[in-house]
Amino acid sequence: MKKRTENRKKRYLLFPLLLILALLALSLYEKKSDRSKENYSMIYIPKVEDEANDFWETLIQGAVMAAEDYGVDLQILAPDSETNLEQQESYLKEAIAMAPDAILISPQSVTESNALLKQAKDAGIHVIFIDSYVSEPVQDLIIATDNVVMGEELGAYAATFLEEDSEIVMVGHVQNSSTAIEREQGIRSGLGSFEKNVRETVFCGSQFSVAYDQTTELLKKYPDLDMVIGMNEYSTVGAARAVRDMGRQSEVMVLGIDNSLETIQLMEEGVIRAIMLQMPFNMGYLGVEETIHLLNREKIDVKYINSGTKLIETKDIYTEENQKLLFPFSGKGSFFVNFQPFFG
Amino acid sequence: MASGGKRGRFSFLSEKFSSIRMEILLPFSILMLTAIAAMALISTVYTKEAVYDNARNYTGRLLSQLNKDIDSYISYMENISVMIRDSEDVQTWLFGEDEEKREQAGSAISAQMETVLRSRPDIYNIGIIADSGKSLINGRTDLLNQNVQLSEVSWYREALEEEDGFQISSSHVQNMIRDGYQWVITLSTAVRNRNDLQQKAVVFIDLNYSSISDLCENNRLESQEYVFILDADRRIIYHPRQQLLYGGLRTEHTSDLTLDPEGEELAGDDGKTLLYISRSSEKTGWTVVSAAVTKEMLGKSSQAGIIYLLAAVVLIVVGVTVSNAISKRITQPMQTLGTAMERMQSGDLQRHPVTVEGSREITLLSDSFNQMSERIDSLVQQNQREQEEKRKMQLRALQSQINPHFLYNTLDSIIWMAESGKNEEVVKMTAALARLLRQNISNEEEEAAIEQEILAAQSYLTIQKMRYQDKLEYEINIASDIKQERILKMVLQPIIENAIYHGLKYKESRGFLNINGYRIADEVIIEIQDNGVGMDEETLAHIFEEHKVNYHSNGVGVYNVQKRLQLTYGAEYGLVYESRKNVGTCVTVRIPVVRSEQIRKELSEEEGA
Repeated sequence: MKKRTENRKKRYLLFPLLLILALLALSLYEKKSDRSKENYSMIYIPKVEDEANDFWETLIQGAVMAAEDYGVDLQILAPDSETNLEQQESYLKEAIAMAPDAILISPQSVTESNALLKQAKDAGIHVIFIDSYVSEPVQDLIIATDNVVMGEELGAYAATFLEEDSEIVMVGHVQNSSTAIEREQGIRSGLGSFEKNVRETVFCGSQFSVAYDQTTELLKKYPDLDMVIGMNEYSTVGAARAVRDMGRQSEVMVLGIDNSLETIQLMEEGVIRAIMLQMPFNMGYLGVEETIHLLNREKIDVKYINSGTKLIETKDIYTEENQKLLFPFSGKGSFFVNFQPFFG
Repeated sequence: MASGGKRGRFSFLSEKFSSIRMEILLPFSILMLTAIAAMALISTVYTKEAVYDNARNYTGRLLSQLNKDIDSYISYMENISVMIRDSEDVQTWLFGEDEEKREQAGSAISAQMETVLRSRPDIYNIGIIADSGKSLINGRTDLLNQNVQLSEVSWYREALEEEDGFQISSSHVQNMIRDGYQWVITLSTAVRNRNDLQQKAVVFIDLNYSSISDLCENNRLESQEYVFILDADRRIIYHPRQQLLYGGLRTEHTSDLTLDPEGEELAGDDGKTLLYISRSSEKTGWTVVSAAVTKEMLGKSSQAGIIYLLAAVVLIVVGVTVSNAISKRITQPMQTLGTAMERMQSGDLQRHPVTVEGSREITLLSDSFNQMSERIDSLVQQNQREQEEKRKMQLRALQSQINPHFLYNTLDSIIWMAESGKNEEVVKMTAALARLLRQNISNEEEEAAIEQEILAAQSYLTIQKMRYQDKLEYEINIASDIKQERILKMVLQPIIENAIYHGLKYKESRGFLNINGYRIADEVIIEIQDNGVGMDEETLAHIFEEHKVNYHSNGVGVYNVQKRLQLTYGAEYGLVYESRKNVGTCVTVRIPVVRSEQIRKELSEEEGA
């Protein structure tokens, strides 16, 4: 009889006990679901961080903002020059030693960093390329401007101004560089049936003066020239200066890629008709954001992300949204000061 | 257990749920659970609402404050622009006839502008631009951007159209100034010619955009809450994620919002709902909006919710424990009572008083039970007493009687001996008879010392020996240490009678009776041995049966002796019969020493009392 009572007692206790357990589990679950975001650690190694370089400043700003928004521990290890490969390599080594969840890098060299990046990969660190990449596919993800798509859009825009007998020349930046090849390919495909109207493509080696001289020559060579298309900031500005200085701006339309203050002023002057803008802020932001998705295993099949481009015509420079893309920094930025020498 | 069968009929579950305890506990628990859950829910909802309201009120006040700050800031700037606009120098510089005076006025304005610029670093540009293209910017340091048409600049155009009013632009890049391109907010107002009242020029002040954005950033509230500013046309003046908005990575629901001057509204954003609180300023026409993820706002209340939950858990534990205790208080006495009843049912009629503490009904029940059990107990005891009494009376009656046949035979023998002149024998036999009679009537006690019993047996045997002449011989050996031990009366005599009448009497030759008494450990052993005709196994097996009454010994049969011995000393004691046909019979009487000592002690105590 006594044993029976004890048994019964235990059963009575079981009911509230189960209830308590259920409630506790519920509250724990709620707490846990609050903490879905992990604090990932990432290191970004850009090509350069230089107040004079708007592109990289904006890109880094985007990455930093994403890190802030998502609570990522992001460290920036930036070389002081775009050609200081040695410094970038040493930063990369340093980054590998710190063993973060991911290394985001914009490699300066297409070939030189292969071994180190492989080493990072072998150490279980995710490797994400931003803007540019290396010859070996060691990366988990690339976030960059799709140069072919950008070229196509510019080409298609150009085609709207063309006629059967229009003459076009293109001023490229560095011959055989991947971006130059892809952009030219894109522009040609965007031009469609007008592709045959491209008379010549020259490469200025990313020198204002070379682009200026080459364009001057071309303007002389083709007196009926209708359009010059620049493929980066140097070639566009160089070509536009040449067109302006030759007094041909009413006959020759200049289209280009990439933004600078001088580009904008040349647009205000009516020399450049439109430019294609890359989106460095998006690139930086997406770089961090997509890396989080990758680390969270949310989008594991995505290998390439186009950070996007935007076509800006002269009349649209001061629209609400374009202003922020063209002038990413408020106040008297050093950007403007640094580009002063190119005037005149 | 007697009740086992009854219980077995019920299934386990129905038994469980039909118990009073469960019937109390279950509804109590459910009731309590419901009440507590409801309380927790109401509290949570209320807290949610309170937290929500608090956050909204706080944000609303903050936004109003921000609006006030912006308004007073803009007012200050308006005052500066008015100071320039309404000065005599401006009239002279713009509309004056005299070239020299105009030049002088220009210098004066420049000096004034430079003073303002020096004292207010948040003013980027200050200037006057006339329709004619005439301009005075930041003193004389900056020039107009010739590539921009004045008519296309909205803040300029709108200022001219407005009478005596101020135009506040959205945040924009100032492209009117050559090589400027700064992010500013432009405050502009038209200058009226005092002669013809025509508005032909504009005074403007470019405010550093970050002077506004800093105000907002300083007022950033919780981590997930942010403030943005829209102008009257819903263009974004400030937004902490402006670049993401324009880059297409984020969207703000500016077009979905109604933007009441003192509004609150909810808008969705891929799965999460945002609460927008807006405060508009009449002065600037701007609307300051705060956006907060409602989930985040309720973060605090969900913490409170967890506390409520824990409190509810504790309350439920306490509640269930208490109701368990209450139900136990009710059912425990019933169980105690039930157990007592079961024990009674199973035949234990002894009085076991049940003390039960509980409600009045239960105590009444238990009192009745106790009374009943007491009554039963007293009846049982009475019954037992009566039975005992009856048995004793019977025994006493038996003891007090001498078998009349024996008495008659003995007296007959005495007569016969007297007739034959055997005086000596007559005396001996009469003395023995007298001793025997005295032994029988003298004592009312149940027990007597072995010595006395042996004396009685001796008297008896003396008589019998004389009657049977040479046919009977006997020997008695009693160890001296047991002589004072006590033994039930009428034990030895019936056995000896049996030995004579059933054993020795039928023997052709001379019979011999041997009585040995001694002690082994705590037992007294008395052996009565005869070499009579003995018994066959059949007779031996039935020796203790009730109907075998010895008529020679007042009807006190072996059964009676054995029964009395076992009742008095316990089942392990009593008589043991051994017998072989034509050899003899041996009866062993075993009684405990200790027990008889104890009894003696009790007796002596009784006597003492």
